[in-house]
Amino acid sequence: MALVEKLHRRIISIGLIPKFISKLSQLSLLCCVIGLGWLVFMLPSDGQFRRTYISENALLPSQAYSYFRESEWNILRGYRTQLDLFQYVSTTHDSNAEVSKWLQEFGVKTAIYDDEQYGETLYGIFHAPRGDGTEAMVIAAPWYNENREYNTGGAALAISLVRFFSRWPVWSKNIIIVLSEDPKASLRSWVTAYHTSLDLTGGSIESAIVLDYPGTSDRFDYMEIHYDGLNGETPNLDLVNVAVHIAEHEGIKVSLHGLPFSELDRNDYNSRLKTMLLGIKDSVLSGIKNCYGNEAFSGWRIQSLTLKAKGIDGPHDITTFGRVPEALSRSVNNLLEKFHQSFFFYLLLAPRYFISIGTYLATAVAVSVAFVFAALNQILNNKYGELPLLSIYNIWSILTFCISLVFAFATSQLFVYFPLPRVLLGLSGIFSVLPLLSRTRLRIQEPFSYRFKAFAYIYMAIVLTSLLVLNFSLAIVMGLLAFPMTRTTTIIESNLRLSIKNLVLLIISNPFIATWAVVNFVEPRLSGFKVFYALIEASQQLGCWTWYIICLGWYPSWLLVTYASIDAIEVQTPIKKE
Amino acid sequence: MVSSEWQVVWACFASRLAVSYLFPSLQQQLDRTVEFSTPVTSYRSLQEGAYLLLHNLPIYDGGVVHHVPLLVALMAFVQQAEFLMPVLFAAMDTLIAYQLMQIAKIYQRQLQIPSYIPGVVYAVNPLVLLSCVSQSTCLFVNLSISTSLLFALSRQFSLSAICIALAGYLSPYAYLLLIPLAGICGSNSFGLVVKCTLVSIVLQLISFKLNNDNWNYLTSTYWILITFSKIRPNLGLWWYFFIEMFEFFIPFFKSVFNIFVVSFIPPFTIRFNQQSFYAFVLCLGWITLTKSYPTLGDGGFFLSFIPFFKPIFGYLRYPVISTLLFIHAIILSPIFYYLWIGLGSGNSNFFYAISLVYALAISSVIVDLTWAMLRIEYDSGKPNLSLKLTQI
Repeated sequence: MALVEKLHRRIISIGLIPKFISKLSQLSLLCCVIGLGWLVFMLPSDGQFRRTYISENALLPSQAYSYFRESEWNILRGYRTQLDLFQYVSTTHDSNAEVSKWLQEFGVKTAIYDDEQYGETLYGIFHAPRGDGTEAMVIAAPWYNENREYNTGGAALAISLVRFFSRWPVWSKNIIIVLSEDPKASLRSWVTAYHTSLDLTGGSIESAIVLDYPGTSDRFDYMEIHYDGLNGETPNLDLVNVAVHIAEHEGIKVSLHGLPFSELDRNDYNSRLKTMLLGIKDSVLSGIKNCYGNEAFSGWRIQSLTLKAKGIDGPHDITTFGRVPEALSRSVNNLLEKFHQSFFFYLLLAPRYFISIGTYLATAVAVSVAFVFAALNQILNNKYGELPLLSIYNIWSILTFCISLVFAFATSQLFVYFPLPRVLLGLSGIFSVLPLLSRTRLRIQEPFSYRFKAFAYIYMAIVLTSLLVLNFSLAIVMGLLAFPMTRTTTIIESNLRLSIKNLVLLIISNPFIATWAVVNFVEPRLSGFKVFYALIEASQQLGCWTWYIICLGWYPSWLLVTYASIDAIEVQTPIKKE
Repeated sequence: MVSSEWQVVWACFASRLAVSYLFPSLQQQLDRTVEFSTPVTSYRSLQEGAYLLLHNLPIYDGGVVHHVPLLVALMAFVQQAEFLMPVLFAAMDTLIAYQLMQIAKIYQRQLQIPSYIPGVVYAVNPLVLLSCVSQSTCLFVNLSISTSLLFALSRQFSLSAICIALAGYLSPYAYLLLIPLAGICGSNSFGLVVKCTLVSIVLQLISFKLNNDNWNYLTSTYWILITFSKIRPNLGLWWYFFIEMFEFFIPFFKSVFNIFVVSFIPPFTIRFNQQSFYAFVLCLGWITLTKSYPTLGDGGFFLSFIPFFKPIFGYLRYPVISTLLFIHAIILSPIFYYLWIGLGSGNSNFFYAISLVYALAISSVIVDLTWAMLRIEYDSGKPNLSLKLTQI
């Protein structure tokens, strides 16, 4: 205690606390800059990241020889030729019926799940010869991939892999093959149905591998691995590590987040930064941008990833691609327990490099603290700081906050039924301009201005903190984009320059304008107003929360700050001296 | 009674009823959360007990019911009118709000705040409101404690003894409050303890009779609190220790935890025997912090006494930090529980970390209040906020 005591006395004697309080505004900015700087400059630098390793010893990737080779080649080609024919001559219903016959030939029990809205899904279960049938692994291949290309190779691979597996006695987990219409809504609806209503089931699903090999080419260049789940979920790092390990063992180059082939060999600061930022982007937009299929399994404690073949004339053969899911299944099959705990929070800088949560979480925490400081600044650094707790200003501020929350909720719901992005953005623009237009006409009392902002920033800080471990990427991106609102000033004497500054800050920190602008900048496939439709679609079809987090977590604070930016008039408050 | 107090009472009653009847499924949802429901306070297990009683089945053999026989009998009695249960709970909660306002009236002179303020604080406290809507049986305990306190402060010691005996019968931790209560009673404390003992014996005998002349209810209602034999995650400090501990350490740590609960009750009472009401509140906070199956309802009940510390608010050193700790603990605990149980990406450390934050919040409030009490004592009751003191 003596040390703490000494420290305490020292802090008091040099007057650190008053200094600290008077500098809160700058400290808030500093925190945000530290957060951003840590993310951009520190994390991809040497010493901050580690080489990946397999945490669960039982996985033993590529320890067993992979047999999916020439002997399977003609079988695979046979299926592929048939499927290629189906895409032109038969409906999904008919081809499902035909494929289901093929699967039954080698002992797979099949059923068709018919979703009225999203089409039919064929699935089959091969019961484990050595297991008790309580656990399962999924191999999924949607008929069409995220680009609406016919997934001939992927589906043929899935079928021939299951046929190949069925000859082996080693399986201790059931193997489920899923052939759905698309990798998004229909696969998601099958996963939901599997856990709620289906009759033919094979136990709890431990892992899911989605195969994406469009076209009928025999050869491919390299493999993409997609692992970002919905709502910031990620599969256990072990599964990703095993996939990378196996692919590189087979000599296939692995690309993360769609990095082009030419950049795969680079390992410098820039390449790591690029991969990390692409990873954050993919995680934030997961489910909103094009889905690869692994997103469909989120939320049910299933570790899932998508393997995608890229290129058509590379050095690797389609059976090489097949050996990756084969060895992956062998590894997962080895698991006696679940995947290791707390191996779910990571950012990948390269297929073999990762940052663990302890290192990267500080960035988002710093941004969240920046909002707390901004809020304290609004409370302490003005003459209304001494107002009693139950003063009319606090009570009205809480009430106004509740009203803005209700308004934000109504906006989020109305937009679902009337998706009019132009109206939404226009309204945001009008709200931003209002304080400038009403400069001389409309005024609010000064303490309200400070209190509204304080409540807005505190709320934002709480939202960001609760998102920290749920969805790190969204927390940091939302925090950074919303931060400009904390730099708005309360204007007492009419000042055009400050009003215009406030207007700019409000416009760039508006949730809808910022989302729209940033997504247009980083994701060409969601250009224009597509992002808003995609947000609604993701929330309705996949259960992605991002739309509601933006509306309920960010918008109310912005509304309050906008209201607080109206020119204020000073109030004489009787400050009680005791 | 002043009209504003009536308004508070009606608003309190109406808000509870409105929430219960507007969101009928909320009760069951809250009863399933670990924050508002524990095996010993859950309404579901009380219903189970009532069902078993009505069908003449042994109540305590199944290991599901951990409520005392009288409560189960009461529940069995009123179960015919189950739709009126929210009314009963809302009425009890309102009664607590009313009693808090009565206590404020007793201390009117020192407090310098309108007497309806504690009632308002209680009525709008979301923890208490949700706990009431979840129909957690800790409300019975809280009501008994506040009734006993009110009677003791208005110098009706016999009634106070009966109420604290009832509270202790429902949850034995309340017996610890007999110590600060004896401090309030001063010279009458011997009578208080004797009366409390007698009433407790009578209550146990009635329970014995109700339970078909069988003492086995003692194990499932009281012994479970001491031995923590039903290991369920909750917001307390206990559960985490006993899920991964070597078998032979468990009895030692169980005794340490139990001693921990008791250890600070006499010191608080002795040190603050001049302000015995405040000693009582601090003891209440201490029990909330260290008991084996705490809920947010207990925490909310303790926080409802904060307005009575109004004269020493100026001395509090970190009320903002305590508030932020509470807000974060309460918001993050369901999220971390979901990460652990729902998604499986977190583990039990996550939730325990949050229950530690919650414990830190309660303890920072207790420490801050204790400091403020000592400070005002140093200034001989006349606040001198400009004087800076540090602890040695």
